[in-house]
Amino acid sequence: MYAAWTVKHKPKSTAEIVGNHSAIKAFHDWVNSWSKGVPKKRAAFLYGPPGVGKTVSVEALAHGLHMELVEKNASDYRTEDAINRFAGLASQYASLFGGSRIVLLDELDGLMGNADKGGVKAITSIVKTARCPIVIIANNAYDPRFRTLRSYCLLINFKKPMASSIAKRLQYICELEGIQADENALKFLAQRSGGDVRSAVNDLQALAQGKKRLTYDDVSWLAYRDRQESIFSVLKMIVYGRTTYGAKQAVDMADVDIDMLFEWIYENAPAHLTDPHDLAEAIDALAVADVYRGRIRASQDWSYMRYVIDFMTAGVAMARQNSKVGGWIPFKFPSRIMMLSRSKAQRALRKRLGLKIRRKCHISAARASKEFVPFLRIIFKNDVQMATGIAKWLDLDEEMVEYVVGTKAKAGKITAFLR
Amino acid sequence: MSFEMWAEKYRPRSLGDMVDQKTIVERLTSFVKARNVPHCIFAGPPGTGKTTAALCLARDLYGEGYREHLMELNASDERGINVVRETIKTFARSRSIGEIPFKILILDEADNMTSDAQQALRRTMERYTETCRFIMCANYSGKIIEPIQSRCAPFRFTFLPREEHDTYIRHIAERENVQLLPDGIEATFEVCGGDLRRAINTLQSAASMNKQVDAKLIYSVTGKASPSDVQKMLNTAIDGDFLGARKQLRDMLQKYGVAGVDIIRQIHREIFRLDIPEPLKIKLVGITGEVDFRLVEGSDEEVQLSALLARFVEVGYELRK
Repeated sequence: MYAAWTVKHKPKSTAEIVGNHSAIKAFHDWVNSWSKGVPKKRAAFLYGPPGVGKTVSVEALAHGLHMELVEKNASDYRTEDAINRFAGLASQYASLFGGSRIVLLDELDGLMGNADKGGVKAITSIVKTARCPIVIIANNAYDPRFRTLRSYCLLINFKKPMASSIAKRLQYICELEGIQADENALKFLAQRSGGDVRSAVNDLQALAQGKKRLTYDDVSWLAYRDRQESIFSVLKMIVYGRTTYGAKQAVDMADVDIDMLFEWIYENAPAHLTDPHDLAEAIDALAVADVYRGRIRASQDWSYMRYVIDFMTAGVAMARQNSKVGGWIPFKFPSRIMMLSRSKAQRALRKRLGLKIRRKCHISAARASKEFVPFLRIIFKNDVQMATGIAKWLDLDEEMVEYVVGTKAKAGKITAFLR
Repeated sequence: MSFEMWAEKYRPRSLGDMVDQKTIVERLTSFVKARNVPHCIFAGPPGTGKTTAALCLARDLYGEGYREHLMELNASDERGINVVRETIKTFARSRSIGEIPFKILILDEADNMTSDAQQALRRTMERYTETCRFIMCANYSGKIIEPIQSRCAPFRFTFLPREEHDTYIRHIAERENVQLLPDGIEATFEVCGGDLRRAINTLQSAASMNKQVDAKLIYSVTGKASPSDVQKMLNTAIDGDFLGARKQLRDMLQKYGVAGVDIIRQIHREIFRLDIPEPLKIKLVGITGEVDFRLVEGSDEEVQLSALLARFVEVGYELRK
């Protein structure tokens, strides 16, 4: 189990943050202005796409200025109790220990639907009378729900940093982790991230952790990935989903096709399910999804697709009953896909070998590989002379001999006699 | 230097050389004498001499040039209806040159033919009886459609009894200068169960390791020769390592090309040998049956089989509790 690099290598000071220098400066100036009395705007509204450093900026600044940071989780907003507590905090000038404090309301756009329209209103009224800096973070400040709230806030826009800046940060992390990374590999990761530094770091960890070297080949398969919502977070929604609805939503966010998403889930779900019952249920759900895929193929009736989706997403999510949420387990690219494409050539070779055996041994190519090849393997490994004779008799080429013995070195000994 | 697979080197060339399947050989010999052969079905387990008998019959009938009057097709490789329409028909309708007015077509592993192809074959057999006689070899005659069965003389091949197996294997060992110890020959029979091809292959593999062959060597060969080490995979799962078991499964399917249905057949067999409470066995068999059916339906082999493996992981966990 490892710590997530997004946590381990979180910027400690605002200087470490990738890009957005002017936004951070504006924010810094506003916080400083509190020392000269309550400013006109009592709240700062930081907005911008995910993973560009909004929350981290607040944390790093508070840390740098030795201010206490009181963070409210999005899920708290709903309860009246929490809003009252929040109101209490905001109405005080200073914290218990005499220092000043920042109150942070993160992911404001995350939660509020119709159910708690009153929430924004309550927050707005608190902001109007706040006596300490309040920071509001959301992806989109121009959501109509925030219209009134917005007018009481200093709006600060965080933008996507440039790929070259992200690559530099990745390089820095690699140095700390003792990984020698190719420049173009990091550039590729940075570009793929589309300005989302957090996901770039997550990707880097998934691909590079435990390695000494990171090459372009290690990362290039990410080309499969989409940017809308990275496959990793899609998988998280499924493997750790709490509602059937949420897990099913994941399908719309993944840019990979259903079959590919299936492979991602099939590859990764087991490692995240520690309880054997949960595991069995999850794989069962995948197997049922697969049965429906087969029925679609057989009937060409695509309306069954909804069952495929239900079982591979919600079915897997609901399997989680007793599994613990462990530490960081990286999501892996479906290795079966890589193996399948690699073994395609091998299948062709096996078939050719089978046909050679068939010519001599009156047996189908299919059964030859089952009934003869295992024995050939033993003979070829142990008796070069006998192997050479048989290879000649069957008219095997070097590639086939190598397939049978398994190693180039041993194959060399046998094929040396063939020539 | 002349080496080949012994199974081929010591394949009988004439019906007279065949030591086993006495009653069958007698009847086939009478066909040769009469210079007439009906359509035949040779049914029986692998390695019992079906193909050998067919080849011997042809050689005895036509002499050394028998290849010109014979076609060997393997339904496992060419199972579609087009083979029947084109290859078989073309061969069947052309007249044979020589004393005997018909040719012989050996259709090996005929039980793997699609039923469409079998239906098409039925008419071909009737129309060209004068110019071509069919010998269909199959493991299960039941998989051959009734109309074809009724047109053929049935021959049922059985596993070689111990004595005949021993005679054969000993003969080969002598000729190849292999010292075959009594417990070695016993072990061979035990692991191959009268499948002579498998027995000879096992002997040859053992001889490639050591010229003195005893039971231990035979067992080690059979261990190595089965890439589908199902027992090991199941134990990995029962020990709680799902990912490890899935990796083994993946290797079997992709690296060694073992068919999913073969794996499930072995799993089914292994369940009853497992050291687990009896009621669990039947529960696992129930799940196995469902997976088996899904595979036949055309579901993904690895996904379905790993769902089964996950159930073994679950059973192992319950037992340790």
